[in-house]
Amino acid sequence: MTYVGIQTQIRRNNFNSLLLIIAFPLVLLGMVYAFLYFTARQKDPQIINDSFISIVPFVIIGTAVWFIIAWFFHNSMIRMATGAKPLERMENKRVYNLIENLCISKGMKIPQIFIIEDDSLNAFASGINEKTYSVSLSRGIIEKLNDDELEGVIAHELSHIRNRDVRLMIISIIFVGIFAFIAQMALRSLQFGAFSRGKNNKNGGVIILVAIAISAVCYLIAILLRFGISRSREYMADAGAAEMTRKPYALASALRKISQDPLIEAVQRRDIAQLFIENPQPEDKKFSLSNLFSTHPPIQKRIQLLDQFA
Amino acid sequence: MIWIILIVIVLVAFWLIGIYNGLVRLRNTRQNAFADIDVQLKQRHDLIPQLVETVKGYATHERELLLKVTQARTAAMSATTIDEKIKTETQLSTALQGLKVSVEAYPDLKANQNFLQLQEELSDIENKLAAARRYFNAATTEYNTGIETFPSNMIANNFGFKRETMFDLGQDRTTLEEPPKISFN
Repeated sequence: MTYVGIQTQIRRNNFNSLLLIIAFPLVLLGMVYAFLYFTARQKDPQIINDSFISIVPFVIIGTAVWFIIAWFFHNSMIRMATGAKPLERMENKRVYNLIENLCISKGMKIPQIFIIEDDSLNAFASGINEKTYSVSLSRGIIEKLNDDELEGVIAHELSHIRNRDVRLMIISIIFVGIFAFIAQMALRSLQFGAFSRGKNNKNGGVIILVAIAISAVCYLIAILLRFGISRSREYMADAGAAEMTRKPYALASALRKISQDPLIEAVQRRDIAQLFIENPQPEDKKFSLSNLFSTHPPIQKRIQLLDQFA
Repeated sequence: MIWIILIVIVLVAFWLIGIYNGLVRLRNTRQNAFADIDVQLKQRHDLIPQLVETVKGYATHERELLLKVTQARTAAMSATTIDEKIKTETQLSTALQGLKVSVEAYPDLKANQNFLQLQEELSDIENKLAAARRYFNAATTEYNTGIETFPSNMIANNFGFKRETMFDLGQDRTTLEEPPKISFN
């Protein structure tokens, strides 16, 4: 009732997740068909259809297996990529108290808590269901923020979980990963294929073109996905955190501190970096395209909006 | 014509069932929210005997207050319905708060390691209790709004959905949260 904004966001995210799951195999099959059509020697629809149908089961089984593996093991994969370790209650009672109190006040299940041994300030949430939801905090953010600020950051991450942002993100990361894998495979096979099939130069040229086109499509889809998952979720999570803690100024001051040093040296992969509370951009910001493709709104804007709440 | 009327009746029936189910869901959410509170209340009950034992050794003049706390605990533990629990637990909170204030007069007690730890545990529980109460009150408000707004109020009246009480600490709390008055004469 009072959380109309968040309820809408949850519904939208659930819908988008479903849409992604349905759309992805269709896009993939479309790509396979396009590949077959453009590389076929004779443009006979009958032959193309036959070979398409014979390939379809492999494609579907392949993506299903990949998706199932990613669905069940993404948590340990992300944990490995970020070097996060479980945080024991005895080790840091303060963090546990903050998280538990926030969860209790929203009737949420308490997520797993992980720590990243890094002096920089950053945090992220991940997981796809109540069992796997987790919040990871860097050592730096736990030590350098005071209780109120840390509470704000944790509330921001919990809002992502509550809004089902994390689930949508994980699904999109899995899919973009599959596309990236296919593109790499296409390029790889092209490198070997071009030499061995030197005698048939004309066909080799076509395959090169098709592979390049498919890679371009992959990249476009990845970009579209990033846009589709709207950037407003960060503002929504900030607002959710402000509503949970009733201390918007605390989150604003936390963001101010985080913006000083958000780079987690250990994490290089960009697809995982977009999960963090602040997505750091190591390259210089003069290049305006980076802003267009960034997954997070500028931190100054977020601070400004939070200050308006207070 | 008959078909249209039948369809309309069926649609209205579904709509009413939907409203009824929505109200039941709200009521259950509220009851589940109280389960969160119960967990903390139980921990508080378990902690109090230890606390009373520790205080007894030092604060010899507070026998009456300690008795009040113990009695409030017994009453709270025997409460069964949510309403009863809210009432008795509020009294227990008040008694504990009174104890907390009067203990200030015993520096030896405040230096006791065991007491400090108990006090820390108690304040931890009180914090969690406050959080759980926030959720419970939000759920109660949602439920109360549900049974009072049109059109769900018509169903609520016919099927015995009653307005439920919130778990706020009432008047006692506001007086308690004021700092204790100190006079120097």
